[in-house]
Amino acid sequence: MILEALEREGVEYIFGYPGGANLPIYQHLREHPKLKHILVRHEQGAAHMADGYARACGRPGVVFATSGPGALNLVTGLCTAYMDSVPMVAITGQVVSTQVGRDAFQESDVIGATSSVTKHSYQVTKIDQLPRVIHEAFHIATTGRPGPVLIDICKDVQQADAERVSPERPPAARRADFFQIPGYKLNGHVDLDGAARAARALSEAERPVILAGHGVILSHAESQLQELAETAAVPVGTTLLGIGAFPVKHPLSLHMTGFMGTGWNIKAVQNSDVLMMVGMRIDDRVTAKLAGFAPNVKTFIHIDIDGSEMGKNVRPHIELVADAKQALAAITPHVGKIQPDRGKWLAQIDAWREEHPLRYKRSNGRLQPQDVLIDMYRRAKSEAIVVADVGQNQIWAALWWNYDRPGLFINSGGAGTMGFALPAALGAKFARPDLPVWCVAGEGGFVMTAQELSVAVEHQLDVKIVLLNNFSLGMVRQFQDDFYGGVRSQVDLTHMPDFVKLSEAYGMPARRVERFEDIAAAFDAAEKTKGPFLIDFRIDPEANVYPIVPLGKSLNEFWEAPDA
Amino acid sequence: MPESGTAPPSAFGRHLPMNGEDSKVRVLAVEVEDAPNMLTKVSGAIRRRGFHVRGISVGPSRQPGRFRITLHVDHGHAEADQVRKQLERLVEVVEVVDLTGDDVHSRELVVARVTASELEALIKRGAKVISTAADGTTVEFSGEREDVGEFVDELHRHGIVDVARSGPVVLKRA
Repeated sequence: MILEALEREGVEYIFGYPGGANLPIYQHLREHPKLKHILVRHEQGAAHMADGYARACGRPGVVFATSGPGALNLVTGLCTAYMDSVPMVAITGQVVSTQVGRDAFQESDVIGATSSVTKHSYQVTKIDQLPRVIHEAFHIATTGRPGPVLIDICKDVQQADAERVSPERPPAARRADFFQIPGYKLNGHVDLDGAARAARALSEAERPVILAGHGVILSHAESQLQELAETAAVPVGTTLLGIGAFPVKHPLSLHMTGFMGTGWNIKAVQNSDVLMMVGMRIDDRVTAKLAGFAPNVKTFIHIDIDGSEMGKNVRPHIELVADAKQALAAITPHVGKIQPDRGKWLAQIDAWREEHPLRYKRSNGRLQPQDVLIDMYRRAKSEAIVVADVGQNQIWAALWWNYDRPGLFINSGGAGTMGFALPAALGAKFARPDLPVWCVAGEGGFVMTAQELSVAVEHQLDVKIVLLNNFSLGMVRQFQDDFYGGVRSQVDLTHMPDFVKLSEAYGMPARRVERFEDIAAAFDAAEKTKGPFLIDFRIDPEANVYPIVPLGKSLNEFWEAPDA
Repeated sequence: MPESGTAPPSAFGRHLPMNGEDSKVRVLAVEVEDAPNMLTKVSGAIRRRGFHVRGISVGPSRQPGRFRITLHVDHGHAEADQVRKQLERLVEVVEVVDLTGDDVHSRELVVARVTASELEALIKRGAKVISTAADGTTVEFSGEREDVGEFVDELHRHGIVDVARSGPVVLKRA
């Protein structure tokens, strides 16, 4: 019944790991050939693969794990998905219901351990809760503001489920009248008066800016966003997770915002008088020091599907609790006569774009990460998924991104989970076998989940791994250099495996690049190879991320790259 | 009632912060589904958002299978309305009504065993004698939070053997 319910939900892949408390489910897996199970090498890998899968195709990722350590190994992956609103359903085994609370073998309070990192969770102790709970879980994970849902199923329930001779068919699955979740309410219509006021504020503003977050991509609202921006002549920046929501090469693009955002974006936000923020949480990485955020704004407009985001960090003057697509579509028709001085504002932004370009130092003869990424993006041409890890590699990959399509840049934004990229890239490849997938990671994060290379090799997944290897925890090293008195503490990663040999040990080809001149040939080799390929780019260990706002300072105080 | 900053006669009697601090306390009636993890979820949401429970009572709701939680919650550094919004995000929570500042009937209950032989002062305040025994007399009293606090102060003057005090129950006036 559990597996049948998954089939009814249209599940294609399950990322999982069997163990004592989920054996009854695994016993019958083979009878459901539509459900393709990917055996990971660590449960954290399963959660990140499901996450990458969901972000790449929009369908919920599905995870299996056993009780105790198996389930607890999912916690970081659940948190990663929760922070970034990624739909996921995790099914964990639990000890038999009569053993609960007796500290049985591999028993842990999974609900207690995961309730702060899941949108909802269930513990199933009676068979009559199935399959309703499973269908509810998919409904909750995928609707409204998406998120991970965990179902903890006691082993005796799984056993009874497996032994049921003629499983009672549930009423047509996914029907709301069969659910028992009266407390789960989805936001309804857009407040049309609010939409009209937002349109008026944008039209009449002298210096308006729109910032777009992940919610725009989740809601597939990018064309509505572009239409509003063009109609109202308003420049658009994105958050790290909103990258792709607005074409980077568009004349109105401000590229990425926040404390590692572009200089012209920061200038625009800090000087704006009307700031509309769509599908985003306005967290500390966007605002830097909150008291110094957008100090000239007279009207904050906030659009988010989650009402609790209103006033959580910034109190908006106009709030629209709604799906981004519907809200943006409701605003555009009300855009009136544009403030006559708008041209001056746009010209000012163009001037800032010239004054504060993205740049990097390349005079020291070392391999620069930006050179690597520029070549990678040149090859990708808006038609490849790039999955980045966390740290300097993530920000470089974000800033040098040059696509015009949404949903193709995947990274752990809210949680900042190192080790995310490799398993998430494999999940993305399972989801989108038609698209090239590039995995960009630093060596520090890469070794945290490198065991999943086995999965890449086993399934011959065509994922190209771009290792930006600087022999240190680069972002931490940069913070220590710049903000902690230059004291380098525990950031040296000289003792790492030979990544070419490591890849070969897993059974996949790899190559090492130490000079600018060898970048193209290595990428050529990677592209020619079918299946996984790793390039160990030995980059300049002193390369830094710029612009950057010193920790605790306001956006105005951003630092730029030293002269090239 | 003591001025802010002076020590109350009994911390137990005045468990709610007074005056200025009081303005950070929200009064909420929360309708929840009866699920095994319901209290974990509600208390978890309160804890991880930096709120602080000042008073709580839980009892069956009018509707079978549901409970009504009455909460006094300090919203800490968050915007006042965040308490309601964060609780509403929980799937187990059916409805949250913010009763802060509303015209309400609010009651707390105290049951105490006292050594006093003369109970007149307590009875005059509205206490009811539940039982009398060799080791003391058990009385109950219910009223608004402040009245209960004052009643407990009075009890202290009479010599408390044991005392139990409930959280608040609050009903909006018609």
